[in-house]
Amino acid sequence: MVALPESRVRGSRPARGPVRRPRRPSAREAGTALLFVLPFLLLFALFRFGPAIAGVFLGFTDYTIGGDTSWTGLENFRRLVDDPTFWTALRVTVVFTALSVPLSMLASLGMALLTRRAFRGAKLFRSIFFLPVVTSLVLAGVVFTWVFADGGPWSRAMGALGLPAGNWLADSALVVPALVLVSVWSRFGYGMLILLARMQDIPAELEEAALTDGASAWQRFRYVTLPQLRPALFFVAIIETTVSFQVFDMIYVMTGGGPVRSSYSLVYLLYDQGFKYFDLGYASAVGVALFVMTIVVALIQRLTLGRDK
Amino acid sequence: MTDTITPPATAATAPPARSRRPYRVGRGGRGWLVGRGALLLIGAAVTLFPFYAMVVLSFKPTGPVTFPDSLLPWPFSTEAYDQVIGAKSMLRWMWNTLLYAVVSVVGVLLFASMAGYAFAKKRFPGKETMFWSFLAMLMVPYHVTMIPTFIIISELNGVDTYWGMIVPTLANAQAVFLMRQFIASLPDSLFEAARLDGCSEWRVYVSIVLPLIKPILATLGVFVFLWHWNDFLWPLIVGQSIDMRTLTTGIASLQQENVPLNMLLAGSVVAFVPIFMAYLIGQRYFQEGVSTTGIKG
Repeated sequence: MVALPESRVRGSRPARGPVRRPRRPSAREAGTALLFVLPFLLLFALFRFGPAIAGVFLGFTDYTIGGDTSWTGLENFRRLVDDPTFWTALRVTVVFTALSVPLSMLASLGMALLTRRAFRGAKLFRSIFFLPVVTSLVLAGVVFTWVFADGGPWSRAMGALGLPAGNWLADSALVVPALVLVSVWSRFGYGMLILLARMQDIPAELEEAALTDGASAWQRFRYVTLPQLRPALFFVAIIETTVSFQVFDMIYVMTGGGPVRSSYSLVYLLYDQGFKYFDLGYASAVGVALFVMTIVVALIQRLTLGRDK
Repeated sequence: MTDTITPPATAATAPPARSRRPYRVGRGGRGWLVGRGALLLIGAAVTLFPFYAMVVLSFKPTGPVTFPDSLLPWPFSTEAYDQVIGAKSMLRWMWNTLLYAVVSVVGVLLFASMAGYAFAKKRFPGKETMFWSFLAMLMVPYHVTMIPTFIIISELNGVDTYWGMIVPTLANAQAVFLMRQFIASLPDSLFEAARLDGCSEWRVYVSIVLPLIKPILATLGVFVFLWHWNDFLWPLIVGQSIDMRTLTTGIASLQQENVPLNMLLAGSVVAFVPIFMAYLIGQRYFQEGVSTTGIKG
């Protein structure tokens, strides 16, 4: 998490003379300020802070809507560990993330490099590449179901290349790669814009100097551009990982988690347990697992990609 | 609802002063230009193909059309649109989606700008604690809070109501964070002057703060609209009856009823056109929003 500690900057008040602000906020000032914060504060306490605490707490109960609730300790987590469906969902989610994050970042980086310099049409290409990002994954899912259908464009293309033809979405080994392709299509434009913004900030002198020193295009990319991009790459990696861990919409539309749970993700498990079987305690335990995974991976990425040179 | 994230380390919401001088480094020869052009065209074709297919296939008469031929614009028929708009609850879903998105935009912008103003320019007890707790909550995945939020809404009989769908999404901490960043960059003197003239705090907020923060209102507004328009999981669990579906959950339900492809895609086009228009008009806000704040698309 990148947070900016800026509240300390304010101490530059002159010691004497016409003091613009009293040292402590007057009751009146504090009162009006609180009134400004109050509406948001209430919403936040009721629908974000409270539920976040309750969400973790529920993981330790057997809450069902309308039923009695009791504290069951680690029971839900024990059940989770013994539940083969959980391991399936975990595997699907991890494989999906491990494939889609690097691929989508590669596409982002490639397209950012290609549209980096101002040329006629650069803006148009950027706008085209960002279009999938604003498109709902439900709509994308509907179209891509057709794209992957047997005899459709994807299976024909794969057949022509001598790769497995047929409906990838119906094949338990190929369904996750197919979903990864949709995810890359839908996400790379976002990373591209983040990387482009960072590239614009790289001082041109750096590359000019490298050029004068006779560095090749690859060397300039590898030793000048890439190191400068590291914080932006780290940021994109974190966001894309979080998004991928929470994959749900397109799976719901394209495969329903099938065939035989080979595309069943963690959020799908959470949805089924919570809102199909109404086992909200167990669903919350799945949520806690997701939370822990997100934090662990963010820490790992921080230690590797995000480390200072 | 989408999850919220803090911006990249370079984030400054105020428009960055960026040197726009044309860059001549490493502009290779003709080979590079051709290669780049080819790659970009392939990339654009792959990116746009699903949109093309969506539109073309939605204008087909019902019945089997096999693949390569189906990409031709004929036979042309608007039958699918007549059916999906006439027989299904498409217009109702469109209305629900619009209400969900627009009311949320207004609510988020209002509450977040008020809170952001207080956090940026005022002092009050508990300020730091509150702000850090907002930030800490950005770490918690949305799905953890979704279940208790659903329980609260269902205890309050808010399932299948507009308010039940909308109100929880107004607690958007990322919006407050962006507002505070932006307002903190404005000079204090602007507010002091009005206050010395005897303006009430509310008056300062309405006639000084709001006009000054138009850029961030536009950027954030565009994204909040987008998130709600495309939102899926929350409307799926809270809007359960047919009449309370949004476009995304409605189209997903049509798909599960095995509605013919041309109708499904006609519905998709109907759901896509408004966001596409918004994107065409507000492209600047979408793209600059991402580049300057890292706000999630």
